[in-house]
Amino acid sequence: MLLKVENLHKNFGSTKAVDGISFEVSRGEVFGLLGPNGAGKSTTISIISTLILPTSGEVYYKGANILKEPNSVRRNLGVVPQDIALYPTLTGYENLRFWGNMYGLKGAELKKRINEVSEIIGLNGRLKDRVDKYSGGMKRRLNIGAALLHKPELLIMDEPTAGIDPQSRNHILDTVLELNRQGVTIIYTSHYMEEVEYLCSRICIMDQGRIIASGTQEELAELVKGKTRINLKLDRIDRDILQRLEAINGVARAELVQDEIVVSGENVDMILADIIGIIAEHGMRISSIDVSKPNLESVFLHLTGKALRD
Amino acid sequence: MKVISIIKKDLKTILSDKKALAIIIVMPLVLMTILSSALRGAFTTGGQSIDRINIAVVKQYDKDGDSRRFDKALRDGFLVKGIGEEAAAELRVTGDDVDPERIFLEDFLGSEDVAKIIAYRVEKEETAVEWLTSGEVSAVVLLPENFIYDMKINLLTPFRNKTDIKVLIHPDRSVSGQIVRSIVEAYSDSMTSVIIGKNVLIEAAVSHNLTEAGFTGMKEALDDITKAMEGIRVEMDAVKAEGRKPVRSSDYYAAAMAAMFILFASGYGGRMLLEEKENITYQRMIIAGTPKFGILAGKFFTVFLIALLQISIMIAFSYFVLKVQWGSAYPVVLISLCAAFAIAGIGSMLAAATYRAGNSKMADIFETVILQTMAILGGSFFPTDILPSIMQKLSFLSISGAVLKAYLKIMMGYGVQEIMSNIAALAAIGFLSAVLSVLILRENGGMRDAQYNKAKTVRT
Repeated sequence: MLLKVENLHKNFGSTKAVDGISFEVSRGEVFGLLGPNGAGKSTTISIISTLILPTSGEVYYKGANILKEPNSVRRNLGVVPQDIALYPTLTGYENLRFWGNMYGLKGAELKKRINEVSEIIGLNGRLKDRVDKYSGGMKRRLNIGAALLHKPELLIMDEPTAGIDPQSRNHILDTVLELNRQGVTIIYTSHYMEEVEYLCSRICIMDQGRIIASGTQEELAELVKGKTRINLKLDRIDRDILQRLEAINGVARAELVQDEIVVSGENVDMILADIIGIIAEHGMRISSIDVSKPNLESVFLHLTGKALRD
Repeated sequence: MKVISIIKKDLKTILSDKKALAIIIVMPLVLMTILSSALRGAFTTGGQSIDRINIAVVKQYDKDGDSRRFDKALRDGFLVKGIGEEAAAELRVTGDDVDPERIFLEDFLGSEDVAKIIAYRVEKEETAVEWLTSGEVSAVVLLPENFIYDMKINLLTPFRNKTDIKVLIHPDRSVSGQIVRSIVEAYSDSMTSVIIGKNVLIEAAVSHNLTEAGFTGMKEALDDITKAMEGIRVEMDAVKAEGRKPVRSSDYYAAAMAAMFILFASGYGGRMLLEEKENITYQRMIIAGTPKFGILAGKFFTVFLIALLQISIMIAFSYFVLKVQWGSAYPVVLISLCAAFAIAGIGSMLAAATYRAGNSKMADIFETVILQTMAILGGSFFPTDILPSIMQKLSFLSISGAVLKAYLKIMMGYGVQEIMSNIAALAAIGFLSAVLSVLILRENGGMRDAQYNKAKTVRT
């Protein structure tokens, strides 16, 4: 076990930002912290990063209590903040050199690491440019690079793809997997369900300061097993049709949500033909069909009754 | 090592910020040049309302003795040979009525116009010089030996005696001193005016029942008298009470702008920690294991070096372009180091307080209110001796005032001993501010209270 969080609480005045969470991160895994904005992910990371002290609870890194011995984790910790924590008027190289200095690197060793890191983040040709001339994606990549210079064992990435184009996002996701393959343990926070599904072997879902679910993707999917949903947009809606749809074998529920009919049940996608047939019998025409397989979004929806990006 | 990296990074950041460079480097050079040129020579207030200037008048003459001597000269001296016995007898009577002391003190210094500007006190020479040295008066007017005798000769006879009225001014009060000089020169001008001479002449002519032919003769005498009055001249001495040279407007404003604009370095430094916090680079440094006071020390030395850079550029520019003579190098370097130290202390204290407050209001207030007030009280805009007395009394609160006074003293030729109080004040300000900045940052559990998420920081 690389990191252990025990019954962590953090209050800001009367606000409970973190409300008694516990989890463990194993060496070599990509651990996902998923939750909407304000779920408590960044506060949790701030505590693990030794930036703030918790109201109560403990955090252990390789068995050492980091609240009492913050340097035990700092030496081996790389943090990629959600915001671009760089100096825009300096060049990419100057930024990496500065952050390398902050991690105690200097001379030939620092130069070597800058070269290696710039290869990893794919910016080796642009390091002489000022950061304020970079695109959003390039800044994000440099932001990651600054956390890699000292070869951290544990890398915390807080929403590292926020606000960037798909190409840069893919590059960052591939970088994360590559770093993990090289042995770096990663805690990855995001409110993008697809990223967490793509990257993480184990996931904690947080909401309102609490962990509402945790486990592997398969374990979480079990929570919403049989919750395949079909969203149907029709040219008109006849309420009688809901009863007919619910009567189909395999349909657990048919309901009207706003202007759509939502049919859910275990593997309802397999009986799509029956559903369409009944709609046709009622003389209605389908404008659109959307089939949703169980995923972390539906887990979150199932557990909280709201969407991740609400 | 980390502190040096922080300093190098901060210096590079500031030096690549064109707006910051315009404020801390370019603007003082421009202002220095403009003010030096605009106020060259007169170095006056340009019609601005000022408090009355206190001066002391010293009578170096013996009034009764001079009068007796004049009377004796009319009775049996060379004057009788020059103007004749009858005229001399008449002039004796007229001479009793003419009182040069009254003309100078009451009719001139006591006149409505002059009294608005100058308040005079008649004092003994020793006391007057003492007051001048202590700054209690801005100038001392010395009415020389034989003043009464010479003036009577000049006013009442065709003869002409040279009369030197000395004005002693303190180099620190050069503006006030020049105003006094101008006014005393005006006295000289008015004394040479035809009206006074004519009045004297007419009085004499009437008392002699002179004929028209007699007036013709007296007209020549009047011309001679007028010429004689031109002999009254004011000799301007920049007081050698301390043997110092006066400062020119370019000297003054070179030092004044340096003293004022280094305050902007502390204002700039005052935002540094908060900016690092808001940009999450501060938190990132902490995570990287950088000690919180290491970061603070980085800011301190950055402000210190920026202030030194400002001063160096301003001294070099004023020396080569405006031909400002800064005086001995050693005390100038000492003042500059202490000024930069004080500024760095203020900057880091401001940085710590601004960081703790979580917004830049404190730095804003410093730049818009405190800095400007310090500049005014310290004499960066106008010499302090023309400020209202209440503001003069508050000038000790100004760091720029302490810096300016120290530079000016060195320019005037004072030694290091004379600026030690200023040096000590600046060093104390720097030290106390630095200590305060550490205490402010230590408060509430120190550094481990800064989340790296902006939204959370706001919520905190």
